[in-house]
Amino acid sequence: MPDSEARTAREEWGTRFGFLMAMLGAMVGAGNIWRLPYTTGQNGGGVFLLAYVLLLFLIAIPGLMAETMLGRYTQKGVVGSFREIVGDDLYSGLSLVVVLVNVGVMSYYAPVIGWTMYYAANSLLLTFFQSGFEAAAFWNSFTGSPVLTVGTHPVTMAAIAVVLAFGIRRGIERVVKYLIPFLIVALVAVSIRGLTLPGGMKGLAFVFTPDWSHLLRGDTWVAALGQALFSTGLGWGIALTYGSYLRKYDDVPLGGGVFTAVGNTSIGLLAIFAVFPVVFAFGLEPASGAQLTFVSLVKVFPKLLGGQAWAIVFFLGFFAATFTSGIAITEVGVTTVAEETRLSRTQSVAAVVATIWLIGLPSAYSSEFLGAMDYVFGNFGFPFATLTIILLVGWKFGPERARVIDVNRSTDLYVGRWWNGIVKYVIPVVIAFILGYGAINSIGTENQTLMMGGIALMVVLSLGSVLVMKFVSEPTPTESTSSTVQRGD
Amino acid sequence: MALTTATWVVMLVVVTVVWGSASVAIRRSLADEERKLRLVQRQGEIDTYSPKALADLRTWVEEHPADPYADEAKERHDECVETLRQLDEPFYDWSDDEIESLETFNET
Repeated sequence: MPDSEARTAREEWGTRFGFLMAMLGAMVGAGNIWRLPYTTGQNGGGVFLLAYVLLLFLIAIPGLMAETMLGRYTQKGVVGSFREIVGDDLYSGLSLVVVLVNVGVMSYYAPVIGWTMYYAANSLLLTFFQSGFEAAAFWNSFTGSPVLTVGTHPVTMAAIAVVLAFGIRRGIERVVKYLIPFLIVALVAVSIRGLTLPGGMKGLAFVFTPDWSHLLRGDTWVAALGQALFSTGLGWGIALTYGSYLRKYDDVPLGGGVFTAVGNTSIGLLAIFAVFPVVFAFGLEPASGAQLTFVSLVKVFPKLLGGQAWAIVFFLGFFAATFTSGIAITEVGVTTVAEETRLSRTQSVAAVVATIWLIGLPSAYSSEFLGAMDYVFGNFGFPFATLTIILLVGWKFGPERARVIDVNRSTDLYVGRWWNGIVKYVIPVVIAFILGYGAINSIGTENQTLMMGGIALMVVLSLGSVLVMKFVSEPTPTESTSSTVQRGD
Repeated sequence: MALTTATWVVMLVVVTVVWGSASVAIRRSLADEERKLRLVQRQGEIDTYSPKALADLRTWVEEHPADPYADEAKERHDECVETLRQLDEPFYDWSDDEIESLETFNET
């Protein structure tokens, strides 16, 4: 494999603000807006939120610090970072699984971005305010029309390709610097409207009233763990990839860890204030997922004074949230391909985007297929990727070594020895527990087949990745004479 | 509908902790970057480790002399010490006495 560093100087974020917004944009997605409020209400309300915030500080923030550090230290993408730390060890083969998980996730997330794009466009066209408009019928006709769902898919991928082709500073940074502040302003505006509606407080009561009986329930803590680990994007390779574009003087713990996690949760909280008062003020049943956003809220906007403006602001903001996440997930693959092949960045963007578009077609065509992909990757793909990255820092690089050499370099926040145990033991155990809990819980349910398929897919991807990496790393006779000394344990 | 006291308390605690931490983190991060950039533009370099972090780094190198990363750790340590000696104004809170007492690994 060619050394990309020898060919081109590596890009860097232009500003700290750009990096922070990029991290926030990467982690804030549809889940913050349509999942967090409902999950909170269903799992003991305030008790769930308190558990979630506790786990956020205890686990997600230290984990994000570890992942961002890995990228900043190696100045490489996922595969390059693994190879830098463990050489051509079998373990480095698993790096490809992390990239493939991102590609797999993006294949079904891209159609979701397409939905938000379609609804944002229709909010601008004031479709929801036409006489005789039916929100549920509109949603059903959209999802039941392959022309529309498959048609929005390439538009989404083309838009992402354009941004990524411009690179880190001129592409991603330029876009997120405007979209994320817009998202925040949009949610604040809708929150103010929602909270001033008669009956809006019922929404806050649904979310924040603590049901103390949930405090000792395992399900509450598992849901909070899942939310803290996976809604912050820990271990997806995004923090690693974005961290690899940091400068020597940039700080990892405060920006990569604390701000990314609490900033992401801040937007989730804003979504609670924006969505639930509106839903409850109009006496709608709270729901999770697409139903909440694309049916319940669409029903509500025409009933609001100035509803057209609120709908435009909300759906453009929602599109911003999903689009910036799509950019980040795709960038994990783009950085890797650009570094590990002879392709230029533009060619890498084209290759990755075309692959995602192709394997995303079934998800764009069928929402059942999309749901199955979400179950498999959400329950097995992400935990496996997270475990792979955290074990790299905790057991291959070594947390104390990582802490003293790089985490505390140029930092605004000193990280003490407490971090070592969390990275080495706590996070891996928690993720292994979540993986096992998800698998065991699905036995005997309709998800059992998907669970077995998910596990089988991860095993096949792992074996395949290790074989591929071993094959491409095999030194040729000329390369072997100039091989570099490997570092590692 | 009036919210109960418990609901208000939980809401205020969560909002304060989450939005408060996010606000402090972004303000401090941006302010520090501005200061770092100003110092780099004026001096060409800034110190890369705080007193506590540099002491940790030194202790680790001394305890792991044969570690594959020891040379790189020494380089980073020495680069910071040499930079501190040349700077008019360090980024971290270093006193003149502390800087004078520092030694690079070559000097020990």
